[in-house]
Amino acid sequence: MKAPVFREDLLESLSNAPGVSGGESEVRTLVAAAVRDHVDTMEVDAMGSLVARIAPAGAAGAGSRTNGSTPRGRRGPHVMLCAHMDEVGIMVHAIEKDGRLRIRRVGGVDPRILVGQVFRVGPKQVAGVVGVLPAHLLTKEDEEKVIPYEDLYLDIGAVTREEAAKQVAIGDYGIFDTVYERWGRVRKGKAFDDRVGCAVLASLVQERPPVPVTAVWSVQEEIGLRGATAAARRVVPDLAIVLEGTAAGEAPGSTDEESAPHMGSGPTITIQDRSLMADARLNDLLTRVAAKRRIPTQWKRPGVGGTDAGKIALSGAGIPAAVVSVACRYIHAPAAYLDLRDAQRSVDLVWHALEALRKEWP
Amino acid sequence: MPSPASASTVPKRPNDGRSRSITEWLRHVTALPGVPGHEHTTAPAIEKAYRLFADRVTRDRIGNVYGWIEGTSTKPRPKALLAAHMDRIGFLVKRIEVGGFLRVTQVGGFDPRTLPGKEVVVHGKAPIVALFGTKPPHLQKRGEADKVIPLEDLYLDTGRSEAEVRRLVRIGSMVTLRQPSVDLLGGRLASPGMDDRAGLVVVIRTLELLRERRPIWDVVGVGTIEEEFGIGFLGARTASEAVDPRLGIAIDVSHGDMPGAREGDTVPLGGGPSLCIGANIHPKILEGLRSTARALGVPYSVEGCAMQSGTDAMDIQISREGVPTAVIGIPCRYMHTGVETVDPRDVDRSARLLASYLADLPADWSVAETLK
Repeated sequence: MKAPVFREDLLESLSNAPGVSGGESEVRTLVAAAVRDHVDTMEVDAMGSLVARIAPAGAAGAGSRTNGSTPRGRRGPHVMLCAHMDEVGIMVHAIEKDGRLRIRRVGGVDPRILVGQVFRVGPKQVAGVVGVLPAHLLTKEDEEKVIPYEDLYLDIGAVTREEAAKQVAIGDYGIFDTVYERWGRVRKGKAFDDRVGCAVLASLVQERPPVPVTAVWSVQEEIGLRGATAAARRVVPDLAIVLEGTAAGEAPGSTDEESAPHMGSGPTITIQDRSLMADARLNDLLTRVAAKRRIPTQWKRPGVGGTDAGKIALSGAGIPAAVVSVACRYIHAPAAYLDLRDAQRSVDLVWHALEALRKEWP
Repeated sequence: MPSPASASTVPKRPNDGRSRSITEWLRHVTALPGVPGHEHTTAPAIEKAYRLFADRVTRDRIGNVYGWIEGTSTKPRPKALLAAHMDRIGFLVKRIEVGGFLRVTQVGGFDPRTLPGKEVVVHGKAPIVALFGTKPPHLQKRGEADKVIPLEDLYLDTGRSEAEVRRLVRIGSMVTLRQPSVDLLGGRLASPGMDDRAGLVVVIRTLELLRERRPIWDVVGVGTIEEEFGIGFLGARTASEAVDPRLGIAIDVSHGDMPGAREGDTVPLGGGPSLCIGANIHPKILEGLRSTARALGVPYSVEGCAMQSGTDAMDIQISREGVPTAVIGIPCRYMHTGVETVDPRDVDRSARLLASYLADLPADWSVAETLK
């Protein structure tokens, strides 16, 4: 069967939506609305992750659309597919007397990308700019110093604490003020890590999968892979595939090793990162399916980063896990790039892997 | 390949109602490109704006744009020159790297610390979007985030193939920060290019006011070129030579108050125009502006400009046989970043002050003195 079509419309709305770690509800609402009609059950767990179960085509309990037909042949392993909803950003930490907001980072944000940046803060999405002394007023020593987080502030235009407090509150999250755009095969937007994974997963469940699937859109990945840790204990799958947006390494002058994976060169498969030794049998299956289906794939540069798969693999008595990613340039920055073909190919690869798993997995 | 509509450099013309708000004007002119040497990309929009109010609109051979308001006295009338610079700081492409990445040189003084992650428009054959590439924390070496990245190590990524980049971009292509204007509380507006497009809006509004309240003098608003280029104020000097004004006033941005700045380096945002005092400012004009402000009830700050003001007034002052000059500063926070922030009320106040001062200038006004 042909793999489902990648839902670019969903990638766009998810990329534009706010969802900093711990505040994922708007993203969850969008995902839930997109998949509601395709899944058998859908729940929000204690941490806020969205957990949806979908029985394979032809299985008993596969929902009304199967007309009560009985399972034919093997049912296949129970697969957990997981993508995280949260993005990196900032949180309002204090409101100063003069109306400025003190901020803290949420997740891995390089302080060097915040200076002079525009954010949208809180439920009202109030605009704020990260102020900085102009070059004219700097000393030589100032110019050579990275401004530490503690010295950064957000100017929302308020001149008193009271004025600011009418618009924002301590604990409000701030997101990069970036709008999704497209040209050629390139898509530009914020939070592709991991809204592209969220959209790949939502695209996959548009059709009844070949094996029983529990789809998890997890919370709090960026602050320690936390949501998936809890969700895996609830789902208890036979194996897991995590869907990610990972860092492409291309830059002028980068070595071959540094530049991998490449945007546009197909789904990226993880061998090993700082959280996980990917299950070799699963990776074997993924690469065989890719070769058979003529889907280009590439390996993620080993030893870099970590994903929910690391925590899922260690859940309970252990769960074989693999990671399939879309290589994005400039993740954890205001705007990232991805190649739309990589998103569709990720859907294709995982879909056909599920077909293979139905036949092959012990 | 068509570029995204939003990469367009010239925004849609605002509706042709004459009384556009200051905020609408600011949005319109800050979106225009026009880095030093490329002001011809901005001039048509400024001419169009002048044409709404001026009796005559001209452009000289080096690119300055003039809007003339004719006075009521008999010819030859004295002329007042209002100068705001049309150029904004930006970059030029200096190299296309393997992979299609771009290296740039700056025209104007950026703090490179404000650039990583910023979106830009590369004005090649067609305008295309790019961004200053950043290395995600995952790929950084230990301690890398503690180092400032100098401009020569920064690069632009269009996301396009090298072949396409080479087709669309050439060495010398202009690059501008791409940041739509942002509305802050209290009506404040943040955008790149406020320096000195806010000054251009003051000139436009002053011409509008003077059309209703005719001055005795001729008033010439000029959008000058190459203020930010740093080898002298080419546009201001040549404009002043051409116009032969009896007085000249430069309208530029002044540092608005912000955390970390020393007392005296800034003037309050929302506190009205800043009237500079110093060697570039003739005391007689300053006194006239102060008394006009008092009469209008317009708040203002006085800003010491020891030695040079760093504005077009420097070159207007020494043009021809010497011209009495003054400088009006619009308070602006975070100058030379993508979030230059002004309070539109200060722009409005500057225009009202100027229009009122100029309208009342008597025909025999002069600073020349005969002592014997």
